[in-house]
Amino acid sequence: MADYKRAKWADWADHVKSLDDPAKNFEKPEALDDLVVIDVSSRSMAGCYCSSLLAELGAETIRIEPPGGDLVRTYSPGGIMNKDTGLAYLQEGRNKFHVTLDLEKEEGREIFKSLIGQADIVIETYPAGQMDEWGIGYEELSKLNPRLIFTSISPFGQFGPESDRKQFDYDNVAQARSGIQYQTGEFLTEGKTYDDMPWAVPTKAGPWIAWCVGGAFAAVGILAAVHYRELTGEGQAIDVTSAEAYERLNDYALHWYGDQGHITERFGSLDTALWLYGFFPTSDGGVFLGGLRLEMWKAFVDILGKYDEWGADEWTTLAPFMKEDWQFKYQAMINPLTSQFTSQELTRKSIEYAKTGRLAPITPVVAEIVSPWQTMHDNNWIERGMFTPVQDPEYGSVVCAQAQWKSTETPPRTKWVCRPVGADNGHIYLKYLGYGPVMLEKLKGQGVL
Amino acid sequence: MTAVFHDYVKNKFARPGPLKGLRVLELVTLLFGPSGPSFLAEMGAEVIKIELPPLGDVTRSLKPFDWFYKEQGPMFMHINPNKYYMALDLHIDMGQDIFKELVAKADIVEFNLRPAVTNRWNIGYEDLKKVNPNIIYIEKNGFGQWGQYAEEDRPSNDGAAQALSGYAWISSFSGQPPLKQGIWICDYFGGLMGETAVLAALHHRKKTGKGQYIEMSQSENIMRAMQWVWPYQQMTGKSAEPSGNQDQCICPADTFLCADNQFTAIAAPAPDEFKGLCKAMGKPELADDPRFKDHTTRLKTDNALAILKIVAEWARTKGADEVEKLGIQHGFAASRVHTGKDMYENENRRSRDFVKEIDDPLYGKYVEHCFPVMMSKTPPKIKWTVRPVGFDNEYILTNILGRNQTQIKELYTHGVIGKWKDMQGRRPPSDWDGKYGAILWR
Repeated sequence: MADYKRAKWADWADHVKSLDDPAKNFEKPEALDDLVVIDVSSRSMAGCYCSSLLAELGAETIRIEPPGGDLVRTYSPGGIMNKDTGLAYLQEGRNKFHVTLDLEKEEGREIFKSLIGQADIVIETYPAGQMDEWGIGYEELSKLNPRLIFTSISPFGQFGPESDRKQFDYDNVAQARSGIQYQTGEFLTEGKTYDDMPWAVPTKAGPWIAWCVGGAFAAVGILAAVHYRELTGEGQAIDVTSAEAYERLNDYALHWYGDQGHITERFGSLDTALWLYGFFPTSDGGVFLGGLRLEMWKAFVDILGKYDEWGADEWTTLAPFMKEDWQFKYQAMINPLTSQFTSQELTRKSIEYAKTGRLAPITPVVAEIVSPWQTMHDNNWIERGMFTPVQDPEYGSVVCAQAQWKSTETPPRTKWVCRPVGADNGHIYLKYLGYGPVMLEKLKGQGVL
Repeated sequence: MTAVFHDYVKNKFARPGPLKGLRVLELVTLLFGPSGPSFLAEMGAEVIKIELPPLGDVTRSLKPFDWFYKEQGPMFMHINPNKYYMALDLHIDMGQDIFKELVAKADIVEFNLRPAVTNRWNIGYEDLKKVNPNIIYIEKNGFGQWGQYAEEDRPSNDGAAQALSGYAWISSFSGQPPLKQGIWICDYFGGLMGETAVLAALHHRKKTGKGQYIEMSQSENIMRAMQWVWPYQQMTGKSAEPSGNQDQCICPADTFLCADNQFTAIAAPAPDEFKGLCKAMGKPELADDPRFKDHTTRLKTDNALAILKIVAEWARTKGADEVEKLGIQHGFAASRVHTGKDMYENENRRSRDFVKEIDDPLYGKYVEHCFPVMMSKTPPKIKWTVRPVGFDNEYILTNILGRNQTQIKELYTHGVIGKWKDMQGRRPPSDWDGKYGAILWR
């Protein structure tokens, strides 16, 4: 139960909660339950993430792996496993039926083709040209099913001078290629080398964000293609690279270079284009501070007790504060002050200031930089359904990030986290191709399944 | 090249975008709000950006160090292409009424305000449902519409989401403080995922006729992308920790310093890739080393550190481009760490029209990223960039709502609609000729 002071608009909060609380997700319909997705992605979490998004929205998703299972099942910190499955795939096997099929065998490809006639969407992540070489690329499959939406995620795309590179798509390489890694990280202190400061290098994000962005853009493209197909009956081919997808989110770095020949460099945990905006130390860790309007920055200075001393009343624009040298100057002035408080104390001060401060209700953004452990145990997120464990028939109770958005009619939901390799061969091949146990045994004996 | 994409760029404008015919209204600021509708606009939806006159979106003021492009905030340009710009004062009831008239003729409406603000302006979900029962309504903000943080009215930014989700915590080097990303990832990723929700809702509406209300918290949304972190913490009873550029789930996968002081990322987890890398390093025997014999064994901490050390020492003797070339030759993934210069000059990006020179009536020629999803039948595209505050008022009011010149003039007189303030980012660029790009009012 809530142990905080309710907002003035609490009736609205209660109303929305009554309509979209994830605890009620299973009472609601699913947006995509009329679609059949075949995910034949290989080595790539971009493909798996893409199909997860569709599967969370109700699409019947058939995940095809080679007979030994896809390499993604081995992705796990330290190599630890739950049964046969790495912890990463315990998140992205969700809601999918798992079958095996050897696409390197002619019989395997024939079976694949007969599934295609009944599918709406294919997702594949082989190096460009591999599916064509097997005779199961878009050209061939669209003859079997003109309504098919055939989605490729690859490192360099389906066309362009580098598209003939026969390499698989990996997140860390895509992050490197996006330009974002280059401009993220601590800067080298003058006179030091990378050997002195091995952490002061271009730094990638910890999570597989290029894969997730690639997969999410692919999902958005697929859903747009589904919309167009409703209008015209036409399917199509979709081409995404994780690196380009992630790079699309790379702000103005390209424009800046094009216009000024300027290369965006690392700027630590400050922000090249914003003030007040960065991570600052506290007595027990650190906080994010944000105040993108002049009044918010002034409010923060007021919280620090420096409003008069620093002459905040005189400031009329934020513009000079965005300059590089001003950012360093004020960072050096702020750090010793924030270090006197705990992160929670600063957070509370900001919330209080919104009620009683001289510039109230204006207040700066203060957010504690927490470990994911703290995040997972924060009641706010738990109550909002983020970490409700999934009771999986095979893998037991597994914590999954879910309920990433809430909605009144067709919220995403997680039904199971994963399935063992080939666990659904019986169900899926019977349902779609009429293969009974005898046929399955035969195909298994031939190494096709 | 895959045949279906032959001449893709050449014929890009010969086909419509996939979302042709959809109308979207946005009342949003900064990046979390506008990024999603931009993606719809690039896919052919008609997106009307409503701003409050005369200042509009605060992003117009933001500039990296001292650089504005023709007085405009470059991030504002990067994330608001293809939109129509209307300035409508929603504090005034006549402004609220016009907003509702537009909603009645729209499919999707997007906000990123604090909880319950739209209710105060009489354009909350229940209000809009009355004028358009099938509307798809999305509200994106820091903490959603209910729960402790939402009810405390906490403000939020991308950086707050990076901090509160644990994303920053696991994105630095071990022993170093958490690191903020060089981009506003939680804003953009939230914007992108929001459109997954919206387009799925659109599909549901086609089947059932029903619209819906969607709420998204940017912190929660980025947690979804943190994947293995959650079951790892559940299983081990301890927090996930940072590991610099080393991928904790894939081995070898890391960024390496090369002889020319540049960096190259390498990934080679599959047996064929690992063999290829060992061969490229001139140490094919490593592929049979019991410590590295398969991926799961290689991931064990000591083994992972051992192989990464070997690769690091080798990479230090080669140029970054040389390592990348060896990757092509031996079949493992590798790329030099690219900079803004690479984005601009790289031929692959240009020939795919991913990096493109835009020819805009107000802002002239400049180089920009296009939509990163190539669609063979319905190519997404950038057509124009941003506009001054209220630039398209006349077009929208005439074309969609049928107002005549006298009525429009009256709306200006009452301050219901407005045009830009004479200041940077709000007014047209100084070299604009007063005609190009204007629709119906010149």
